[in-house]
Order: sequence, then C-alpha cells, then structure tokens
Amino acid sequence: MARYGMALDYKSCINCKACESACKEENGILLGADKHRIWVGVPEMEGIFPNLSIGSSSYAPSQCQQCDNAPCQEVCPTNATYYDDNGVVRVNPEQCILCTYCMQACPYDARYIDDRTMTVDKCNFCSDTRLINGETTTACQATCPTKVRIFGDLDDPNSEISQVLRDREHYSLKTHLGTKPKLYYLT
Amino acid sequence: MNLNNILPYKKQTLKSFFSFEFTTANVVMFLVSIALVTAMFYGIGVYLAEGHHAYGVTRDHAWGLLIAMYVFFVVSSTGLCIMSSIGHVFNIEAFKIIGKRAIVGAIIMILVGFSVIAFEIGHPVRMVIYNILTPGLTSAIWWMGTLYGMYLFFIILEFFFLNNNNHKYSTIFGLAGLVVGLAAHSNLGAVFGFLVARPFANGPFFPLYFILSAMVTGSYLLFLMYGWRYKMKFPPEVETFLYTLAKVLGLLLAVLIFFEIWRMLTAIYGNMPERADVAMHTLTSANFLVGEVLLGMLIPFAIIIYSKGKAAKALVYASITGMVGIFWMRYDLVHDTQLAHMMPLKIKEYAVTTPFVEYTPTLVEWMISLGALGLAVMMYYAADKFFDLDHKSEESH
Repeated sequence: MARYGMALDYKSCINCKACESACKEENGILLGADKHRIWVGVPEMEGIFPNLSIGSSSYAPSQCQQCDNAPCQEVCPTNATYYDDNGVVRVNPEQCILCTYCMQACPYDARYIDDRTMTVDKCNFCSDTRLINGETTTACQATCPTKVRIFGDLDDPNSEISQVLRDREHYSLKTHLGTKPKLYYLT
Repeated sequence: MNLNNILPYKKQTLKSFFSFEFTTANVVMFLVSIALVTAMFYGIGVYLAEGHHAYGVTRDHAWGLLIAMYVFFVVSSTGLCIMSSIGHVFNIEAFKIIGKRAIVGAIIMILVGFSVIAFEIGHPVRMVIYNILTPGLTSAIWWMGTLYGMYLFFIILEFFFLNNNNHKYSTIFGLAGLVVGLAAHSNLGAVFGFLVARPFANGPFFPLYFILSAMVTGSYLLFLMYGWRYKMKFPPEVETFLYTLAKVLGLLLAVLIFFEIWRMLTAIYGNMPERADVAMHTLTSANFLVGEVLLGMLIPFAIIIYSKGKAAKALVYASITGMVGIFWMRYDLVHDTQLAHMMPLKIKEYAVTTPFVEYTPTLVEWMISLGALGLAVMMYYAADKFFDLDHKSEESH
C-alpha cells in the first residue's frame, strides 16, 4: 500500500483557482462552500508603496494536511474519521454524528460540514473518485497549469514527490503540534 | 404489582398535581416556566425544519450556545451529586438533610442537559448506535458521553434506594455515582483540555476547574432550592446546613478565584500567540468581568465574608447572580476556546479580517437554551409533587 502525500511548489501559484474549481467538480462541493475543502490563501503584500516586498506576494494554496498523527481522527467519538490503507485521513459519513469535535481539533481549519450528507467532510486526496480506480492523481493536481502540486507515494523512493522532497528544502505547517502533516511547502 | 411498594410516591390527581399556593412568586414562576418551555418547543421546531442553519454557529465557531448550556446543565448535575454525597456518602452531619432533593435535582439537570445536546448533535440516534459499535476510545467525547450515561443510571438507583430508605444501597450507588460522575465531568473538561490546536484551552486546567466549579454550582443551586422550598423561613436544621454550606462555598470560591488568577497570569505571560491574545481578549470582555467575576464569584464571596456565612437569605439571592455568572463561565469556556483563527494562511484571504472569530447566538438558540431552564423547573415541580424530598429526622444514615 502507498503512503500518499503532496508537495506544493507554492511560489509558482498564480491564484487562477483552477484547483478549487476542479475539486468542486470532482467532489460535488455545494455552491457557497468556497474555501472549505481546498483553498488558495492570498496574503497581503508586505511593505508600503513603493517599497513593497515582492517575496511576500506569493499565494498559499492549502487543504487538509493529511496528518500522520491527525488530531481530528483522535477525537472522533465513533471512529467515523479513519486512516485508510494509503494513509489518507478519510470520513465514513455513515458513522459521523456531526458533533463537530473534529472541527475543533483540526489545527488547519480543514474540516467543513457537507450539507448534502449533514456530516463533517474533508479532502481525501480524491480517494473516492481516482485512487479507488487505480489512478494516482488528484483533481487539483491534475488541473494545475503551473504544476504547483506534486502528488505521489512518499514510501516509493523513486516517486516524483520523494525525489523533490530530497532535492529541495521544504516546510510543513504547525509541525510543533506533532501532527506530522503530509503536505509539504517547497521553498 | 403495586408500583408504590417498589418506589414509594405520593398519589396525585390531575387537580392536586396542578394545584399550588397562589402567591405572587409561585404564579410568576409558573408563567415564566410555561413561557420558557413554549419557547423551547418553538425553537426545537425551527431547528427540526432548518437544522444547524437556524443557529448562529459557523464553520469557524462550530460550537455555540447549546454546547454552553449542555455544559451548564451537566455541571449543575455533577455539582449537586458531589454536594449531596458529602452528607450521605461521607456522613458529614450537616449535609445529611439534602440527599433526596439534591439527587433528584442532579437527575433532572442531566436529563435536561441531554435534551439540549440532542438538538446540537447532528445525529443523536446514530451517536447511540456507533458509540457502541465503533467506540472511539481516544475521544474525550466518547468517554464523557459513556460515563455520563453510567452516572445517570447510578444516580437514578441512588434516588430509588434513598426513597426506599435503604441506606446501604443508596450509599453504594451514591459512591458509584460520585466516582463515575467525577470521571465523566473531568472528561468533559478534557473535551476542551485535549485540544492541542487551541492553546488557550489545552492543558489540565479545564478537567480540574470543572470539578471545582461544579461544586460551586451545586452550592448555589442548593441555596436556591432550599430558599424556594422554605420561602426563606428556614427550620433550625436547614439553617445549620445553610451556614455550613456558606462556609464551604466561601472556601470553594476562594480556591476558584485563586485558580482563575493563575490561569490568566500563565496564559498572558510570555505573549504566546493564540493564548496570550485570547486571554487578554477574555480579560477585557464584559462577559468575563461582569458575568464571571462580579456576578459569579465576587458578589457571593463578599456576602459570605461580610456576614461570616450567616446571611443565608442574602446568599439565596446572591446564588441567582452566582448562577448567572456560572452561565457566563460556560459560555466563555465554549466561545473563548474558538476565538483564535485556526489557519493563519487563510486570515488574509478575506477582504475584511477580524482579529478573533465572532459568534452571536440566534433567537432560536436562546429559545432552546433558556427554555430548557423552564423544563428543569417543571420537572423539579413534578418531582416535588410525586416524591417526598424532605429529610425526616427519624431517617438514619
């Protein structure tokens, strides 16, 4: 079994929002649920005109960090949130009681209520639509015009993501919480 | 089989059940209770039609007033259970008179708490099923819910045996209810304390504080229940009990104030993000200063100190402000935990950003939450009608 992760070459992001659109189409995200399952953060440029910092103008695409030690999974009272064989943190809507404890526990604000099933949902690396069919892409990654996203098996030393994480410096978000995220921001 | 042989109760006709003395206080209480319960049922109707959209909760602030009220009610229940156990479990003489009244209050409070949370949890029936089929043993909510279920079972048995004058078994189930209740209640604190993502809540403070504040809440409720029962004309044994209770409450409040001071100082010290800023926001809010500190702690504490615990009547009134303060403690607990934005990268994506997550309860939330108070009063009225809740001097322990 694989152990999927994603590297984000975020400085290449042009904020075209193709990833958000593709995710919505792929996973049937309802209108109005913008920035819920996947989003692109738009930081304000630092400095005062004309002394603006170009370095601060990059966009910040993000989504569920697919933690190896996910707080949302740990707090779930009915085990509706679980790790699948690929290490992807997923939700079984049949078991979710909508207590929203996972929304409190997630340090990345990656959980949202899906009004179709009235359960708390999250990014699952397109497990239901792609990985289950043997594909090894996600909708957001496949559609990105500037190839910000590199998706693959972290346990395979020859995968593109393993190689890029060996070659380039990267960081993850809020690692001090011990969550062990599998989203890596390439610097 | 005669039910009265199993569980002695006072027989009531419909007329005698609805008869009460027509004093101003009774009539006002009757009308307020009816209004509150009507509001609760209206609110529940709107919730059943619209779901969580009827509430002011958002993605950033997923827990709202109903969670605060659930905590309020179960804290009240545990508090009454702990305080009653001082008498009939630990045999402290002055507290022996409160057994039945306090336990029936504890049962009512937890039932009302469950009825409030039933309209906050999205799928309460599914919860019961999967709580058993696929238990999440690392979840504080699972432990809290399961232990509270056991707690309710034990205190019902405790009341059953108290009512049958069976002191051996009432003590056994009283002790079981106390131990399981303490475990359940500290787990409720851990629901917040386990949140590593929320530095303001994370840590051992809430599990400990919940037990302490439960005892304070139980003391306030006992003052209110006995003030109402005897209409401020206390018989000697009740007066002795209330004097002792006032001294215990004074000590508990002193410890609570001490806890709060150190909680805030440690939260602010070092300026840790998402902790110091949230603590400062809390410290400068009216909810905390007026609600929690002034109404919930200082006014009752000042009366106890000033009167050396002898002002039972004043403390009954101060218990009203005390319970208002306890409500704000629960509200702030839930609200402050969620104040900090979780995703720093996302704050700037909106045109207008707020330094803290905002939340305003809707009218429907107020209706269900405050309406539940009316439900508690009605259930207490019914319990008082059906059972003899007063202590008999010939009852031995």
